[in-house]
Amino acid sequence: MISVESLTKRFADAEAVRGISFHVDKGEIVGLLGPNGAGKTTTMRMLTCYVPPTSGRARVAGFDIDEQSVQVRQSVGYLPESVPLYGEMRVEEYLRFRARLKGVSRAAVAGRLDYVMGRCGLGDVRVRIIDHLSKGYRQRVGLAEALLHNPPILILDEPTVGLDPNQIRQVRELIRDLGREHTIILSSHILPEVEQICGRVIIIAKGRIVAEDRTSALREAMGGGARLELEVKADSGAPGVLEALGAVPGVAAAREAEAEGEASATVRASLECAPGQDPREEIFRLAVARGWVLLGLTRRQLSLEDIFVNLTTREAEPSEGSSMASIGMETPPGVEGGGEAGPEGGR
Amino acid sequence: MSRIWQIALRELRAYFFSPIAYIVLTSFLVLNGFIFWAILAAYNRPDAPNGSIMQLFLGRTVFFWINLLLFTPVITMRLFAEERKSGTLEVLMTAPVTDTEAVLGKYLGALFFYAALWAPTLIYVVILRRFSPIRMGPIASGYLYVLLIGAMFLSLGLLISITTRSQIIAAIVSFAVMLMLFLVPVFVEQSASGVWRDALSYVNSWGHAGDFGKGIVDSRALAYYASAIVFFLFLSVRTLAAKRGR
Repeated sequence: MISVESLTKRFADAEAVRGISFHVDKGEIVGLLGPNGAGKTTTMRMLTCYVPPTSGRARVAGFDIDEQSVQVRQSVGYLPESVPLYGEMRVEEYLRFRARLKGVSRAAVAGRLDYVMGRCGLGDVRVRIIDHLSKGYRQRVGLAEALLHNPPILILDEPTVGLDPNQIRQVRELIRDLGREHTIILSSHILPEVEQICGRVIIIAKGRIVAEDRTSALREAMGGGARLELEVKADSGAPGVLEALGAVPGVAAAREAEAEGEASATVRASLECAPGQDPREEIFRLAVARGWVLLGLTRRQLSLEDIFVNLTTREAEPSEGSSMASIGMETPPGVEGGGEAGPEGGR
Repeated sequence: MSRIWQIALRELRAYFFSPIAYIVLTSFLVLNGFIFWAILAAYNRPDAPNGSIMQLFLGRTVFFWINLLLFTPVITMRLFAEERKSGTLEVLMTAPVTDTEAVLGKYLGALFFYAALWAPTLIYVVILRRFSPIRMGPIASGYLYVLLIGAMFLSLGLLISITTRSQIIAAIVSFAVMLMLFLVPVFVEQSASGVWRDALSYVNSWGHAGDFGKGIVDSRALAYYASAIVFFLFLSVRTLAAKRGR
């Protein structure tokens, strides 16, 4: 449905997208994942023919974005990040205007309006003025607008940003639902969201694709890689504890998870395990030997979030289509958590 | 064609959704009412000027130009500047709409609004006819001129509105450029000679207004306005293509 070949966009002052290539098959839901400023929006704007690429080619629904831009736009429903709408219009009036603009025939307009408003739950607000709607409803108006001409492809830029947790759940369900009839590309910087909705993830950082794989495969590729959360009471202070922990066989890296007050003897540490290793026993023995009081020791599987932090905080190297296995797992010092986790990001 | 029409209709409605339409309509009519009254008052004096009342009203007083130069930038300033600022341009241009269709649609919307501004002044013609015999030909060509000069200024204002996100900047720059377009031929023509004098008289809006007001529909003037409109609209399409996504 969508094929992108070394697409590049250079602005006067920056190179936003540096030669990315990927394919999206019919019926897929693909997540474009990356920190803010990674080039997600620019990529989507090129695919929707809003911004012309500096170089490279892309075909959307079989049409070339340079030469058949009107056909491309006829095949795509697009929800821009900030959901710009004509705020002075009423919901139904706006959708009717957009439907006619998108070539829905006069006879078919009423049916399409009923369908998209029903699908997006806009029945209660059809005569409300758009400026008076809540953010959640605005988002739904934007989604309804994207669906108006029944495009085979939906491109959704940060579809849940700025919504409250309930609204986020509703929009995600709606997107998953729409995925049965449409091919969808959505962008996000929220990992759990992509894990939930998308079958495949493309991770972008600094304008390049740093990883691309099925959501499940990305986690599998991490193999036994795991993280330990440790909490001990020790008189020697955090630096001494971390140093001792780092020396334990099977621990790839140790860092302080959360600085306690100066006076407190409690140290929280986050340990990166070497693949296939489980050093919990050694850590227990170490604590006993040193006289530390062990308050907590938890093992958890590396999530996409950890992978994401690793990938996007490294200097982006050109590694198109690289699989996860080839990417080292050392955590850069001072990085905690996963960028901006969503409201449901906690585990 | 249908898409141009849809955009034009929305544009026209957008004027009436905001207070701009009502403020512009009201102040335009109040000013024009005063101008019409002032011209009538002047004709009632023994030293009345030559020429017809409607000729003066449609382009041969300074007040006409003040009015025109004040209101056309206000009509055009929001066309693209507002959409660029609010981001709705992205939604408009990712719909299956070409740059040309977007420009023409918005231009037509502005032109309809401009025509709606002038339509109520036709009542002055009705009033005049009740009190004196007047020839309708020159009045028709006078209104044709009002439409032509407005259409040119609107196309220029539209072009300038694409270049900025600020409506105020769009209005000020449009006003300045339109004022120069009007003033330079009128004042420089006096001191120029030879080819320059001919060239300037060809683009002299004040002179055109006089001709059309007398009933002379000069094809050279028609060609000037038509080509200026096409030129500005062409530049608008090209500028829009360049400004998208910036």
